[in-house]
Amino acid sequence: MNAVGRSGRLGSRIAPYLLIAPFFVVFGAFGVFPLLYTAWVSVHRWHLIAGGGAFTGLGHYRDLLVDPLFYNALSNTVSIFLLATVPQLVLALGIATLLQRRGAGWQVLVLVPNVVPVVAVALVFGQLFGRDYGIVNFLLGRIGVAPVSWQSDTWAAHLGVATMVMWRWTGYTALLYLAAMRAVPRELHEAAALDGAGGRQRFRAVTLPGIRPTLLFTVVASALGGVQLFTEPQLFDGTGLAGSGGSDRQFQTVAMYLYEVGFGRFDAGYAAALTWVLFLLCAVFAVVATALVRRVVRR
Amino acid sequence: MRGVLAALVAVLAVLLAGCSASAGQDKIRITVATFGEFGYEPLFAEYEKAHPGVEVVGRVSDFDSHHKGLITALAAGKGAADVVAVEEQYMPALRQSRDKLVDLGTFGARDLQRQWSPWKWAQGVDGDSVLGLGTDMGGLAMCYRKDLIARAGLPTDRDALAALWPTWQDYAKVADRFSAAVPNARFTDSSGTVYTAMINQSEENYFAKADDKFIGDTNPAVSAAFRLAGSLGAKHETANLTTFTQEWNVGISQGAFATMTCPAWMLAQIKQAGGQGGSGVWDVTTVPGKAGNWGGSFLVVPAQGAHTKEAYDVARWLTAPEQQKRLFEKDNILSSEPGVYHDPDVLKQTDPYFANAPIGKIFAASSDAVRPNHRGVRDADVRPVFGHALGRIEDGKQSVDQAWAQAVDEAHAVLR
Repeated sequence: MNAVGRSGRLGSRIAPYLLIAPFFVVFGAFGVFPLLYTAWVSVHRWHLIAGGGAFTGLGHYRDLLVDPLFYNALSNTVSIFLLATVPQLVLALGIATLLQRRGAGWQVLVLVPNVVPVVAVALVFGQLFGRDYGIVNFLLGRIGVAPVSWQSDTWAAHLGVATMVMWRWTGYTALLYLAAMRAVPRELHEAAALDGAGGRQRFRAVTLPGIRPTLLFTVVASALGGVQLFTEPQLFDGTGLAGSGGSDRQFQTVAMYLYEVGFGRFDAGYAAALTWVLFLLCAVFAVVATALVRRVVRR
Repeated sequence: MRGVLAALVAVLAVLLAGCSASAGQDKIRITVATFGEFGYEPLFAEYEKAHPGVEVVGRVSDFDSHHKGLITALAAGKGAADVVAVEEQYMPALRQSRDKLVDLGTFGARDLQRQWSPWKWAQGVDGDSVLGLGTDMGGLAMCYRKDLIARAGLPTDRDALAALWPTWQDYAKVADRFSAAVPNARFTDSSGTVYTAMINQSEENYFAKADDKFIGDTNPAVSAAFRLAGSLGAKHETANLTTFTQEWNVGISQGAFATMTCPAWMLAQIKQAGGQGGSGVWDVTTVPGKAGNWGGSFLVVPAQGAHTKEAYDVARWLTAPEQQKRLFEKDNILSSEPGVYHDPDVLKQTDPYFANAPIGKIFAASSDAVRPNHRGVRDADVRPVFGHALGRIEDGKQSVDQAWAQAVDEAHAVLR
């Protein structure tokens, strides 16, 4: 009796830890360990196949800070992120507003682009934006615009990649906004209407502040996605999977540069340093985005 | 007592029989990973028939995924197939980590050396160890569209046309003539194919044969090739299409360009892209500079495999002359073994798709004169840098000089 009671007490003390253990085991194995191991690799000369070599300290990070190709990739990443995210969030807001008065069928419809595999999206868009035989250039030709070299022109390439990102995420973001909008208390709208606020005013003064947490979340989420953007630009390059992002690296993102260095040149040490910088960039981006939304949409 | 002994013996016999029976059912499985089209499938079945204890399984993927997958598997220490095809541009990288591959010399591969052209054999060895057995090669020729060539008033006959371009400088002059006469098609597909063919014709390109130092910036063979190929691009005499892309395929079928440097394996690509409508439109002739090689592969055996000896036996059988000959006859896969491409049956081979061009003879002649081409350990890191530079010229973003200067800078940065 006594023994059972003691073991029961022990059990109730351990059980909670056991219950949350799976998360920490998985997080440790796939979150913490890779992070630390990458840090270890980044301070060594490390060939991907041959393995580790001499200790280099912060040498890779120092090289990275003066690497023009890194800054090129960084500015491409920021440019594509802005081109993709700003219109995407605005569009999503508009779509969500329209969806408020529509049935569930429409909600399913706007989510369709998001469930199409990204590789398929990239292949289709790559063809739409073909220089010689693409349909976009064909349509532009109909209205008298000279064919655009979508892959080789810097701005055109950024726009092309941004279009893909928008296509994939606008509907998803719109649904998040829609859910948040529905949670805004009806009384607030009614009160504002009684005070004589028009539709636009109510949107600005009631809806936007009401969905502020969701706005924050979507901005941070797309900032993180934007910094790590890889598949879309990688497959937009029809010339291969080297990760160079065009003949002048005109649409090479940071993640692509990381891929080129690590899996093209097998320089795992430098790639690991890049990974850590990318990790810090994600944090910085998220903080900046949060601050920006806080400023723009006041409580 | 006797009874007990007899029973024991009987039990033992049954056990032993059971063991050997189950061993007979457990076949050794050898996986062979290739990319693109190696034409091996029918050969596997035949090998299994001759070797009842072995099961051979093919695994095919595309060029990039195949090689990246191999690198990852070697780095991880598991996941590689037992026999893996490696394209020549990846061989130098593998040489850096030769301990991950079986030295085939330990299984007696050195005795086979005389099967291959000396340059092909040399590409597959590193010092004392034999890393890979040569499969196909890419003897160079020039493919051309007879209809476009005729519109430019140039001779469509193979020999007469080849006589116009003994050198690449002459080829560039023909390009000027063509462009003056035919405004709505280009002379060749891209600067890149011309450039690659040219640098593959010289013994050294980016790295010195003697000490593997980077000489791409000073080697006259590289700069001459770059300037010539770049000037074709600058004059818009190329269609500015990247090889193997969708647009390039369409360019082939739509007749966007008149000529293309054609390693043996390119014939299959043209057939695929050109479709039925392209039959008889294309023809094949001698390449400027007469000979050269572009591409070709090796079979390697990763050391991580469980049955490396059996894997080697499969690789040896697949690269044996009898099998290599059949691959050419069936799929135009050109062997790197002189005994095969000098075989009377192979020399006789013509291709109806390419206006009955004597492809056996053309590629054999080209392959005979190939000079071994030194590839540095870091060749694959530098090569794309110059390819991109040519792309910038074709896009009209940079002049030949600007593109060259940037390429040299980038190459130094990459090799840092």
